[in-house]
Amino acid sequence: MSEAKIHPVLIGMAGTGVQTEKLFLSLAEQMKLPLLQILKQAELGVLIGNSTEHLKQVHVNADVALKLIDGYLLSMRLASEEAYAIEQEAVSLSSVLYDTAQQLHPIAELYGVKLELTLNGKYGPVTAHRQGLQSALVSLGYALIEALPASNAPQLKLELAAHRCRYGIVAGLYADVDRLTAEALRQGRRLFGDTRQPLPALSHSGGAGVFVADAILNAIGARLKVSHHNKRSGLGAVLQANPQLQLV
Amino acid sequence: MAEIVLLEPDTVLADLYIKAFIHQGHSVRRSVSAQDAVFLVDEKLPDIVIVELQLVAHSGIEFLYELRSYSEWQEIPIVIHSCIPPTEFTNSVKLLRDKLGVQKYLYKPQTSLQTLLRSITEVVSPDEVLHQTAEIYMDNDSPRYPIPMSVVTFNQPI
Repeated sequence: MSEAKIHPVLIGMAGTGVQTEKLFLSLAEQMKLPLLQILKQAELGVLIGNSTEHLKQVHVNADVALKLIDGYLLSMRLASEEAYAIEQEAVSLSSVLYDTAQQLHPIAELYGVKLELTLNGKYGPVTAHRQGLQSALVSLGYALIEALPASNAPQLKLELAAHRCRYGIVAGLYADVDRLTAEALRQGRRLFGDTRQPLPALSHSGGAGVFVADAILNAIGARLKVSHHNKRSGLGAVLQANPQLQLV
Repeated sequence: MAEIVLLEPDTVLADLYIKAFIHQGHSVRRSVSAQDAVFLVDEKLPDIVIVELQLVAHSGIEFLYELRSYSEWQEIPIVIHSCIPPTEFTNSVKLLRDKLGVQKYLYKPQTSLQTLLRSITEVVSPDEVLHQTAEIYMDNDSPRYPIPMSVVTFNQPI
């Protein structure tokens, strides 16, 4: 078949279909972990009889699983919408980071990771899809919280922060993980869905949270990028300042 | 009761397994990385090493190669307890059993805590095991059964 006969839209759809399938496979593989944790907590509760503590952990793990599924569904929904239908608005970064920290706190506590919220500097509002941005940061947070203790990081600290860079304003999560590089993320994007550990330098699991966040950010016109903040490496969403309120 | 080295990268799962092991009377030292696990084994010889294959940086298989490269650690019993299904090692039974000295392969999502605890007893103190359960034994390189199973026991000693 000659290439000219394939309509560009169909080529685009095929590409999207492959990515969708890979994201789904990645999510399905990732779901094993919280479900396994819930299963083992239930078994241990029966074995040693301390059910209250285990029920709290079950609650946190179930919450993680549900939020990750929600993030995946949101990315699918946003990707299927026309660009103009996505409600971009002026979003306060501080409030998004604060809410993200609130949502990540229980799982961070479970993994023994200390969350730090740094809101230094005035960034003003950014243009973003608020729900999408928040969901992307929460998905990223889960991936990093789960990965941090497994990577022998010198400090179990995760910093939620924003800073300016030449591309715009980056809102992200940062930790002492020097193996997190732009090349590792590029390779992960190529491998996710095809391999169990697309980010072997960062995570022992499928790291689906990273790819769900990537899909959401893509759909809302933002970008996921490896960045550095306060001598820590991390992943962040590159956003553009919203000019609407800058003169106020 | 056994002295266990647990190589498990997930903190939450590791805590749960450790509680179960301690409840059963075992003592446990846990590592998240292959390198640290080598240090733990070197620090005090364990009765058994339980290994997850999916780790950050070096894999569990690399750890096993490293472990078996030391003559004094040839006899340490190894149980793989992994999220990777054993079906993916159908062609590597000989490698796992003969070269790396793996005694059991437990597929984590389908292995209950009870099965894990029983497997430890079987490996560490086989005399204590009165009843063999319906586990599938692999006698040779051509298994009598297809591999989709949660517990694979390699019945030849290292």
